[in-house]
Amino acid sequence: MRLLIIEDYLPLQKSLAKGLREEGFAVDTTGDGKEGLWYAMSNEYDVIILDLMLPGIDGLRILEEFRSKGRQNHVLILTAKDTLEDRVRGLDLGADDYLVKPFDFRELLARIRALVRRGYQEKNPSVEIEDLRIELATQRIWRGEEEIQLTAREYALLEYLAMRAGQTVSRMDIWEHVYEFNSTASSNVVDVYIGYLRKKIERPGGGELIHTIRGRGYMLGTQI
Amino acid sequence: MMRSLRDRLLFGMILGMMLLLLVFSVVIYTLIRRTLFQQFDNSLGLTAQMLAAAARYETYGEDIRIGFHDKIIPEFEGAQRPAYYQFWAADGRVLLRSPSLGGGDLACFRGDGDEAVFRGFRLRNGQPGRAVGLEFRPGQDKRDTGKDESNPGQQAVTLVVAQSVADLNLHLRSVRELLIIASVGTITLSFLVASFVVREGLSPFKFLAADIAAISEDDLTTRISTEPMPTEMVPVKDTLNDLLCRLQDSFSRERRFTANVAHELRTPLAGMRSTLEVTLRRIRNLDEYRFSLSDCLAIAKNMQAMMDNLLALAHLDAHEMTFERDRIHLAEMMDACWEPYLDIAVDRNIVFDNQLDRQMACESDAKGLSIVLSNLLENAAEYTEESGKVWTTGRQLDGSVEITIANTGCTLTDEQIAHVFDCFWRGDSSRTDTGVHCGLGLALVERVVKALGGSAGVELQEEGIFVVKLALPISRLSPVDRKKAEISEKTGKRKRRSKKFEKK
Repeated sequence: MRLLIIEDYLPLQKSLAKGLREEGFAVDTTGDGKEGLWYAMSNEYDVIILDLMLPGIDGLRILEEFRSKGRQNHVLILTAKDTLEDRVRGLDLGADDYLVKPFDFRELLARIRALVRRGYQEKNPSVEIEDLRIELATQRIWRGEEEIQLTAREYALLEYLAMRAGQTVSRMDIWEHVYEFNSTASSNVVDVYIGYLRKKIERPGGGELIHTIRGRGYMLGTQI
Repeated sequence: MMRSLRDRLLFGMILGMMLLLLVFSVVIYTLIRRTLFQQFDNSLGLTAQMLAAAARYETYGEDIRIGFHDKIIPEFEGAQRPAYYQFWAADGRVLLRSPSLGGGDLACFRGDGDEAVFRGFRLRNGQPGRAVGLEFRPGQDKRDTGKDESNPGQQAVTLVVAQSVADLNLHLRSVRELLIIASVGTITLSFLVASFVVREGLSPFKFLAADIAAISEDDLTTRISTEPMPTEMVPVKDTLNDLLCRLQDSFSRERRFTANVAHELRTPLAGMRSTLEVTLRRIRNLDEYRFSLSDCLAIAKNMQAMMDNLLALAHLDAHEMTFERDRIHLAEMMDACWEPYLDIAVDRNIVFDNQLDRQMACESDAKGLSIVLSNLLENAAEYTEESGKVWTTGRQLDGSVEITIANTGCTLTDEQIAHVFDCFWRGDSSRTDTGVHCGLGLALVERVVKALGGSAGVELQEEGIFVVKLALPISRLSPVDRKKAEISEKTGKRKRRSKKFEKK
């Protein structure tokens, strides 16, 4: 899943990006309001983490501008402003969640995961496709009774496919949601990781879990 | 001492009423007494005149006696309220006395000539009495001469007529008692009326107290609006409302300040917590721990800098900061204060031009002035655009030196400039530089300069040139000397004013 952090306090921006990347998210960061708006308008982020007091354009104006252009991406406001008026204003302008600094990193993670699930109409934190089970909160995967170990990138790819289970997902979609803006990888790397994933989650003799839809992309599970 | 206003008013009113009644009663009683005695004396005088007119010489050979033609007035016969008279010849011989005297004598006295003289005296029975004495020349009885004529050659006779005043005193006693009863009654009635009037008069205090009690410390926007308010209490109401206004401002300022402090701390605290939590989420190598700890240390140092500034502001506001008196060469100090920002200036190609005269000096606190100059130069280094310029100038004025620190690249507006000395104010609302710049630097500068006896101001010149002007006294006075100087200045002003007035 791909996130955008618009936060001008560098130590916080750095630590958030590091922590979220380690959790398997693809994270883009910026400390400037104008740049943040440009990032948000140019990419398909699953969640945008937005500070309010920013140089250039403040967070609320970014949000206003963003929603006025019809963008539906989830926005989580992360700010030091803690009054009821600030919260109400932020949420009324179209934010999906509001978290006041300082915060517990685990809570931020949980909120981001909840927003991601909401984005894909998935309320259950445990996704099951045939005998494949993905625990979204703990990022653990089982095939039947056997637990499967994946790298962060492999997990990110599987989670995205699982969120869109039964749908055909293009390489570009995968690339946009799993890779960061500054990533040097090309979209061909998606095919490579699909290969890795197949090896780990599919069993010899068993049916395919990840289907290749020729010319269109990939699909996890059976078509809906 | 009475603490209750009600008791004081009541006591005052009753005491006043009592004094008034006392004076009134004494005056009334005195007037009545005087009138009654005057009437009594008039009556006694008339009786004496009547007796004198009725008296005739009766000559029996060598013996002269006084006799009456008319019947004697019954009172002289020893009636219930007896009257007395007695006649004396010029040689002191008793010529005649009233039967009521029963052989006793009255005191003999008279006025000069025909004038009657009145006296008070005590009768033989112990009763108080009043007497009139006069001298006259009785006429000759016609039994002797055959005609009734006065005889100027005859001896003058002294007549004293007296009467008891016991009845009069009884009347006066009744008047006294009546006045006392009336006074006591009036005072009792006054007390009741005064109690009611005082209670009603002081009732606005109760309403005022209720209004004040209704004001909560959480909401100081309420004002006292008791209506109708007596005229005398309007200044009290206005003063209290004014006090509430000031309290509200003060509380709001305090709340804003606390909120600002909390707000300023939230972001660095979030940064530190996030860094630590992310680091502790897994086992890492030594370098990663070191980087995380370094980041946290940097955040902690910035937070400490902010706390130091806050503490300095608190000390300045409480007048707890002490200053020394040093001879300071301003150009040297300016160079020394710029030194920490040399690297930034070089990196951003900023030119620094210290145009201060090398000889320019003033007497001030080196530490305090260094805080001021460092803050201003740090801001200049931070906010001057790439390849911009920072320069300082100075000039000597009457008793002070004026230093200016100017820099190019200012993006602030005139409206924003007006707030630069406010605590926690920043031109940019972002918190990119949280901890390092939290809007306290210029507030601190202004307060320190003021504490050093100077003043600070800012102005925005054309093409984005931001200028800070500092006026510092050449000779810094000690607090005692400053107080003396202020007093002397005030006295001077007063004298100048009075001279002007005299000229007019």
